Amino acid sequence: MLEIKNLHATVGGKPILKGLNLKVSDGEVHAIMGPNGAGKSTLGNVIAGRDGYDVTAGEVLYKGADLLQLEPEERACEGIFLAFQYPVEIPGVNNTYFLRAALNAQRKYRGEPELDSMQFLKLVREKLHILHISDDLMHRAVNEGFSGGEKKRNEIFQMAVLEPSLAILDETDSGLDIDALRLVAEGVNRLRSEDRSIIVVTHYQRLLDHIVPDVVHVLADGKIVASGDADLALKLEEKGYTWLEQGGIQPLNEEARV
Amino acid sequence: MSNTQALSTADKWFRAYQALDQTADPGWMQSLRENAAKQLSVNGLPHRKIEEWKYTPLRRLENLELQTRNQREIPPVDTQFPAAIAEPSALVIDISDGSLQSRQETPDGLTINSLAGGLGKYEDRLRSLCEATDLSGPGRAFAALNTAFLDQGLLIHAGAGVKAGSILIRWAFSPAEAARLDNFRVFVLLDAGAELAVIEQFESTVGTENALNVISQVELGKGAALEHVRVQLESDRCSLLTSTSIRQAADSRYTYSGFDLGGGLVRHEIDASLTGPGAHAEIRGAFVLDGSRYVDNHVSVDHVSAGCTSQQFFRGVLGGRSRGVFNGRALIRAGADGSVVKQSNANLLLSGLAEMDTKPELEIYADEVEASHGATVGQLDEAAVFYLRTRGLSDAQARRMLTAAFCHAVTDQLENRTLADRLSVLLDEAMPDEPPETGRED
Repeated sequence: MLEIKNLHATVGGKPILKGLNLKVSDGEVHAIMGPNGAGKSTLGNVIAGRDGYDVTAGEVLYKGADLLQLEPEERACEGIFLAFQYPVEIPGVNNTYFLRAALNAQRKYRGEPELDSMQFLKLVREKLHILHISDDLMHRAVNEGFSGGEKKRNEIFQMAVLEPSLAILDETDSGLDIDALRLVAEGVNRLRSEDRSIIVVTHYQRLLDHIVPDVVHVLADGKIVASGDADLALKLEEKGYTWLEQGGIQPLNEEARV
Repeated sequence: MSNTQALSTADKWFRAYQALDQTADPGWMQSLRENAAKQLSVNGLPHRKIEEWKYTPLRRLENLELQTRNQREIPPVDTQFPAAIAEPSALVIDISDGSLQSRQETPDGLTINSLAGGLGKYEDRLRSLCEATDLSGPGRAFAALNTAFLDQGLLIHAGAGVKAGSILIRWAFSPAEAARLDNFRVFVLLDAGAELAVIEQFESTVGTENALNVISQVELGKGAALEHVRVQLESDRCSLLTSTSIRQAADSRYTYSGFDLGGGLVRHEIDASLTGPGAHAEIRGAFVLDGSRYVDNHVSVDHVSAGCTSQQFFRGVLGGRSRGVFNGRALIRAGADGSVVKQSNANLLLSGLAEMDTKPELEIYADEVEASHGATVGQLDEAAVFYLRTRGLSDAQARRMLTAAFCHAVTDQLENRTLADRLSVLLDEAMPDEPPETGRED
């Protein structure tokens, strides 16, 4: 699905990613954990194609093709979805109107017929039902005045409607209380499937109690410094990121390889 | 524009005035015209040194052929009126080339007539309204021009307590070789407790270069309510100058919603005078500009009595080399205690060559006044553009969606939701396609 080789990226001229390697296969859920400033959000933004995030070396292959050549909307239409850490409020744009325009833009790109408002409404109802979300969200302007939890659920709802092949959830747990966290995680779990890969970017382990990843990576100073199964996250939570900086990686990696 | 040229245009118009045959008109009207023509001749046209007109590019009006009753062909032939924008239940009044075309049967309590037809019963009221028009100084040159050629007009009157429904006024031009300038006057009189919606639709075929100079005078009795909507979709070579004055008695309510989606040179002057306690004026508008078009809203609300409220709310989108002006004045006179004034003007510049001049003016001489104002000129939020693009919308689609949403803040305030929905669609269609300011490397 996704293969990142020796990725270097700068933000405002400052090097953030410094040789990142990552391989995500179809249907896998990967968690990327790391301390603040490690480059977690930068990775999501580079994959989504945000202006100002400049790739200076390395490559990103998505479904075997060069992803970095594509505009953000082309990446979206090819099946990449970024759930934002801070979803943008868009006053004056109705959530339903926006999402239908987005879905139809993607369908058009793929040569599929566009959905009329009745067909779209039917789809939306199904997805709302699956995710246990009230349809109240649909009548409001995109994210405007939404609580933190509502914004994150709206991201997951958009993901459900757009049905991406690769979803990157950028700190989807930040700012959520326990109940909201569980709701969002349940939503994500319902969207797990054999042909959909998910990258969960998080600072804390607690989200991974609910979304159990196949692989956990530790990102520090712009590189993946350790990879392992779900237990790695628990160990990290127990010992803290400072432990990494003090040379804890080696035994950890050895342990992970067993 | 130099002073000499301005005077020569005014002189040309003065000579046209001298050629008028006025023998059949009442004496007061003849003196009114004469006074106006003299003002025009003495003061000339406004020029860039007149503060109120310093941005208005009047040159394009100088070569137009002024239509007077001597030249005007009545009825004009072959005028194409646009499809009505209002709901089918609205009464439709068509005005072509500054002359009244059609009148429908009106319900009891509602009178619709031409100026000439209204003179019998309404002569005193119309005379006092006409005589109250400020013609002094070069800033009022187009009011003087309109008055000097006072001839064609429309009278709308709703009696006390009459719920008069909606009237749609469609403005158009007949096809003609020469570009011309027409004058027209509208009187809207609502007696105590009367209610009426007036929707004006200005639309012309592409390439039309005509100009229209309209004075509207509105009188609202105690507790009367007028909802005034103006939708302007003129060709980008057309000029439209309007001057609307509203006198409001106690507890009356005036709402204006102006949508300028077309037009080359457009200027609206809206002056509301809140003379009775508890009167309310809500004046809002959206304009969308591209090319080298110009739209100017000069709004002034005069709080004369205590306990009145007013709101000014304008949204502008400017692309190309267009230019917009918003001048919003609120005067709160001594004794107008407890007044509430809100003013907001926000603008989006889609191009580095577009220009917006916004000027709020608050003058407060009363106590316990609640006043707020804000004016902004900015660009689209790039974070929002990126957000929409990550969902699959193209850069252009994302920008159009955000730009249109910015103007929906005006349609959202309309009470007539059917009309608001139609206007939202028209706004969306009017959004200019502009490349992003920060060019990407591709």
